Parts: sequence; structure tokens; C-alpha cells
Amino acid sequence: MTEKRALCINAIVNLTDRSIEITETPDELIRNFVGGRGLNMHYLYKYLKPKSDPLSPDNVLILGTGLLTGTLSPNSGRHNVTCKSPESGIIGDANIGGFLGPEMRYAGFDRLIILGRADKPVYLYLEDGKIEIRDAAPYWGLTCSQADAKFRYDLGSDVEVELIGPSGEKMVRFACTRSGVKNAAGRCGTGAVWGSKNLKAVVARGNYTLPHADPEGMLKKFVELRDYLHESKVIKVLGRVGTPLLYDVSNYLGAIRTHNSQQTVFFDSLNAEEVHKYVNKMLGCSGCVVHCRHRNTLGGEGPEYTTEVLLGANIGVAETGQIIELNNLVNELGLDVSSTGTYIAWAIELFEKGYLNEETAGRILRFGDFEMARQLIYDIAYRRGFGDTLAEGSRLVEKFGPETGDFLITVKGLPQSDPHDVRYLKGFALGIATSSRGADHLRSRPTLEILDLPSSFTEQLYGEPVDPNPTSYQSKARVVTFSETIYAVVDCMGICKFICHGFNSPRNLNYDHFRELTRLATGLEFTKDELVAVGKRVIDQERLINYREKGITRSDDTLPARYFDEPMPSARAKGSYIDRQQFNKMLDEYYELHGWDNNGMLPQARVDELNRLVKLG
Amino acid sequence: MNIRQKQVYCRPDLCIGCRICANACAIVNTGGANPRLGRITIRQNLFQRYEFQELCRHCEEPPCTDACMVGCIVKDSETGIVSNDDSCVGCWMCIMVCPHGGMRRDVNKQLAVKCDQCREREDGPACVQACPTGALLFELREDVSDEPFFKGPTVA
Repeated sequence: MTEKRALCINAIVNLTDRSIEITETPDELIRNFVGGRGLNMHYLYKYLKPKSDPLSPDNVLILGTGLLTGTLSPNSGRHNVTCKSPESGIIGDANIGGFLGPEMRYAGFDRLIILGRADKPVYLYLEDGKIEIRDAAPYWGLTCSQADAKFRYDLGSDVEVELIGPSGEKMVRFACTRSGVKNAAGRCGTGAVWGSKNLKAVVARGNYTLPHADPEGMLKKFVELRDYLHESKVIKVLGRVGTPLLYDVSNYLGAIRTHNSQQTVFFDSLNAEEVHKYVNKMLGCSGCVVHCRHRNTLGGEGPEYTTEVLLGANIGVAETGQIIELNNLVNELGLDVSSTGTYIAWAIELFEKGYLNEETAGRILRFGDFEMARQLIYDIAYRRGFGDTLAEGSRLVEKFGPETGDFLITVKGLPQSDPHDVRYLKGFALGIATSSRGADHLRSRPTLEILDLPSSFTEQLYGEPVDPNPTSYQSKARVVTFSETIYAVVDCMGICKFICHGFNSPRNLNYDHFRELTRLATGLEFTKDELVAVGKRVIDQERLINYREKGITRSDDTLPARYFDEPMPSARAKGSYIDRQQFNKMLDEYYELHGWDNNGMLPQARVDELNRLVKLG
Repeated sequence: MNIRQKQVYCRPDLCIGCRICANACAIVNTGGANPRLGRITIRQNLFQRYEFQELCRHCEEPPCTDACMVGCIVKDSETGIVSNDDSCVGCWMCIMVCPHGGMRRDVNKQLAVKCDQCREREDGPACVQACPTGALLFELREDVSDEPFFKGPTVA
């Protein structure tokens, strides 16, 4: 196993009958889906029984590493956790950094496909080609860091762990999985699916080498790309202060989600330099050249831009230290921060509007109340009192009445992750409306347009001229499609989006870099067109699963009502809203670029192609 | 023995725990990736909040050369580099005596492995070349400043 190794080794673990089957992914599938998110989607489509309940044993849980995960490529520490989401009912997919993905590969496994449900709490232990299903009774009930520390104490400090906290065990519909102090496969309630399968953790220790086709060439390439990336301004700033750098910009624009998007400007206490007073050191994930992760002085890691706004501005808490405390708490309990912050803010607005009262909510809910938020987070994680209700997430719209959905900031049942109020940036709005897992910025995040790039450059980038005005509706579908495609490829590679072309910067790694890295690591030759085709195929595969599971079509590619009906109240973005007619035009253009019909459905030829690929293995 | 020898100096304050140094070392020495097979080790505990590098210091009087029962660890009298070969029998005595954590076990081959400062590489030690933050230096002792290394909340 040290010399030769198949490119993609899958372990199909059935927790019900405790059987384990090892398969190899055939080359044709690797050429069509590459790995990571792509192959995960392929296997989800293959193994998921249509329309099954996400929290039943029928759901399929997949941990899949990318083709470059664990290699010497820069920032290659990521893998995807995929299942059917218990929060939205469509695909559940989350990308996570840290160290477990690479360690899985060093232990000889590229993908775990977990089926069924264990009769009592278990964890999976991976070491050098072996998988054991072990008893997790001593770890069940522990919080994330307690359980992680206990695994390291019991099994040796050099293991890598990914696990769920109490909220995953209680099947809170937006529980996440966690690795290390803060790395999380945050979105879509993947943690609840672990909990439903009685799976507390995956622990790995690997001594196998991951062979490279051209080791010396790879080292040279790494040094070259590292130096290239370090020249980028955004990467320098990310390495110094992390993602809070974005707060100032959005706040100045008047586009920070504040008080459940009723307001759009908040205090300066969330600016990067304020947050940075609480930072001990910046850290990196496996293979990272950016180091954007803060080790904070209050005992945890973070906060990210998303956390500080969704557990700060969105619920009205302004004191930096308090926000960091909430951040640490949410990480400790294993909740998705974007969803938690959105639901709490929504509940507060429901309270203000009279849909909830002190009796039904168990307490007075109001913006800016840190202690209330802290208690509520505990109650959600342990499903106590009103927290038990809120733990059901976006499904509550049915309970509280359809009109309450108008001020819940979700798309397709998933709360918006990015703290940026998208009414100003029309391309961004289209991005979250069409994202395959619900309102999410990491699927497309078309923010390059705000940089005022020269048109000669953008034309070359997008293949056609695009309107440089960020508030224009013209040609934004092209921008979204471009970003969506390259991010899908990055997720298939197992590389971090922070070094990806187009994410925050017009430079960084593009298709040609990925081709080169893939050749050096695996010996596989891809053309740029082939990689673009992979990205498009992955998006189509996700669309097909969404259609099969929940009938997702054009009417679901929409935005929260507030974004259409209420103009933004302050600062430079004042008066911005999304015009329904123009939005529909963008959608038409978007579908055309994807080759989908007017209702957002795949052409039959594509469905046939995907169905043929499913038979390959 | 007093040899003017360049050494790899580690600056834990600048270490972000990415393990690229160990991975690059494994790439150079085994042709594949896995930081565990690198000759440099990053000791990190995210919960106890530390990270530092462990690596052979090429001691003036190395205890490992004395401890090795087959005599496969030797210190070169000209370059000062302590290296071993694969006549190692895997008794792990060198690991027991090394005070710096500089000896590693390759559990696949059941051999002790150690840093040889990449003496055959033109670009010098791969770990130093690959480190993204400058946490590793390859310098003569007198050229390394005595001032405390970077103290502050940020790296880079």
C-alpha cells in the first residue's frame, strides 16, 4: 500500500448490520466527478432511497475527500460531508477544513459512505486500511471539546477527530459536525444526521503515504504557488485578521444584516481591529498558506465574519467580548452558527410582532439581550423548552403561519449564511437564490464585481462583457454561473476557497493551476474544458437530486420576501431592493446558461447521462 | 567537536500548525505525502493551545550515535550532520535517548528515520523551503538574532 494506491477508495459502512465493504471508484467516474463534493453527490444520488426521511436510517451520510486532499497542494485540507439535509429536505452538503480529511487518506480511505443506523452510540476508527465500529458510550453526551480531548486521551494525542456535540445527538435540525476547536461542516444540519445514526465521531490515524506522480515537481510547484498567493493583498489581510475584514466594508455600504434584516447598519465594535484585540494567534488548517483562523483569548477559536454578525448585529449584541463568548459556545455545542443566529433573530421579531409571547417563548425575547441569547443557545442545543421548538428550524413556518416565512431569511428552507444583505448586490442575490443547498454564499459568492475591474479583464474572465455596475441586473447570471462552476471544481479538489480564483480576488488559483496540481499529484491529465464540464455536471447532479427529493424548480429559486418588498433603510445602499421582474429576467438568463428549461429543469439527455454514470459504480 | 554548521532554527510563535514542513519532508524522502512520515514533527494541541516543532539538532555529542546497537547513526566529522542508514533494526533505542524528539519511527518499514538536513538537495532543507510563515530558518548560529522571536497576536 505504500507504493501503489487506487485514486479513490471508498468504504461503505452499514451501521445497522455492521458490515463494511471496500470499493474503488472507476477511472471514468473520477474523470466525470473528480472527487470531494462531486463524487459525494454521485454517491448520494446512487445510495439515497428517493424521498426518504433525512433523520431515518435510510439517509446516506458521506464523508468524501477531494482529489488533492492531503497532497502537498496549497490549502488542500478539506473534505465534504454530504447527506440529505434534515433542515431543508434537499441536499445537505458542507465543506470542512482541519485535519481529518488528509488523515482519512493517509489511513487508506478517500470516502466513507455511511448507511443505516447503529443500535447504540458508536464511533468509527480508521487506521491503515482498517475500519472498526467501536462503542461510543463513554463519549456520548460530552460537548465537542470534551469529547475530542477524551478521544485523544484514550487513543493517543496524534489521532484526528471529527464529531458531533450535544445538539447533534439531540438531532437539532441545524447541528453541525466539528473537528478541532472550530472547524465545522456547518451547514445543512449534517450533525443531526450523525446523531440520527447514533454516530458520535470518526477518528483516524494513518501511516500510509499518499504517493505523488512527481514529488519533486510538486514541491517546486508548491513553493511557486505559495509565493504567488502571498503576493495577493486579500490573502495577506486574511492571514492577519481573518474574515472579519469584510465587516467594515459591508457596514460602510449599509448592507450588514442587523435585527433580522430590518436594519442594515451596526456598531463599529465588530470591526476587524476590535475583534483582533481578542486574538492570541492565527492558525492554519492542514497544508494552509493563508492562516485565517483566530485563536481567541476567551478559550476558543474564531469569530468569523459570519459569526460576529449573525450572533452579533443580527440579534443586536454589540459587545465584542460577548459575541466571541457566543461564538465559543455555539462551537462547543456543535450548532451551525448561520442558522442559529438567523432563527434567534427571527424568533425575536416574531415576539415583537406578537406571534410569540412570554408564555410560548418561555422568556421575553428582545434584540441586544446577550443573556437571553446565551440561554436560548443552550436550550436549542439540549432541546429544552422553547429551544426544543426552535430546534426544528425553518419547518416552524408551517407551525407559526405562512406569513411568518416572509421575514425568515431563508431560501429553500436554509437560512442565509453570509451576513451581507444582498439587496444591493444583484449578482449576489441571484447566487443565494439559485444555490443548490439553499441560501448560501459558498456556492457562488459573485463579489468580484464590486472591485471595479477593467472590462478587458472581466471579458476575458467571463467569456463575454459583463456590466461592471454591482447594482445592475444585466449579465449577472453569467458572473454567478462562472463562480458557481469554479467553486464546484474547488470543492471536488478538496482545496480551500480562500485561494481560489474569483472568491475574493481576481488572481489566485484558476483551472490551469488545478490541472497542473492534479497532474503532479495523481498523474491525471485534465483539460480546462473538462474541468469546467465537471463543475457543471456537479451542479446538474445536485439539481437533479433536489428535484427528485423535493421537486425543486423555478418557484424555489427565489429570495426571502423582505428582499423584494422592503427597500434597504440606510447608508450608501439605501433604497436598494430586488425588483421581481428584473430578478425573473436574471433567472431566465441563468437557466439558459446552464442549459436548463424555463422552469429550471435539466434536459432529458443530461438526466440520462447521470443515470448512466450511476450504473458505473 | 566544534563544527561551524548551519542548523534549522524553529520559531514556534510563527508556527500556524499547517504541517506543510513535515509533508514536504515526506515528499522528498518517501515520494508521497503524509506529515507523519516527515522527519520534522509539529506538536500541536488545539485545546491546550500550543504548537511547536520537533527536529534533530545535530548535537555536538549526539546520544543517538552511542545508543544505536548496529552503529548505523553517525555524525559526519566535517559537516556535523548526524544521519542514519537502513541497516537500522528497529530497536528504537535512539528514540528513547533523544532529548529533542528528533528521531522518528517509520511504522511501515519499521525503521528509525531522521533529518539529514537534506544534504543532497540544492535548495537546502525542504521543510525550511516550504514553510509558509518563516517559522523555520536554516542559519549559522551566530547569524540568528538573540532577540526574542515575534511576540504578538498575528503571524506573517
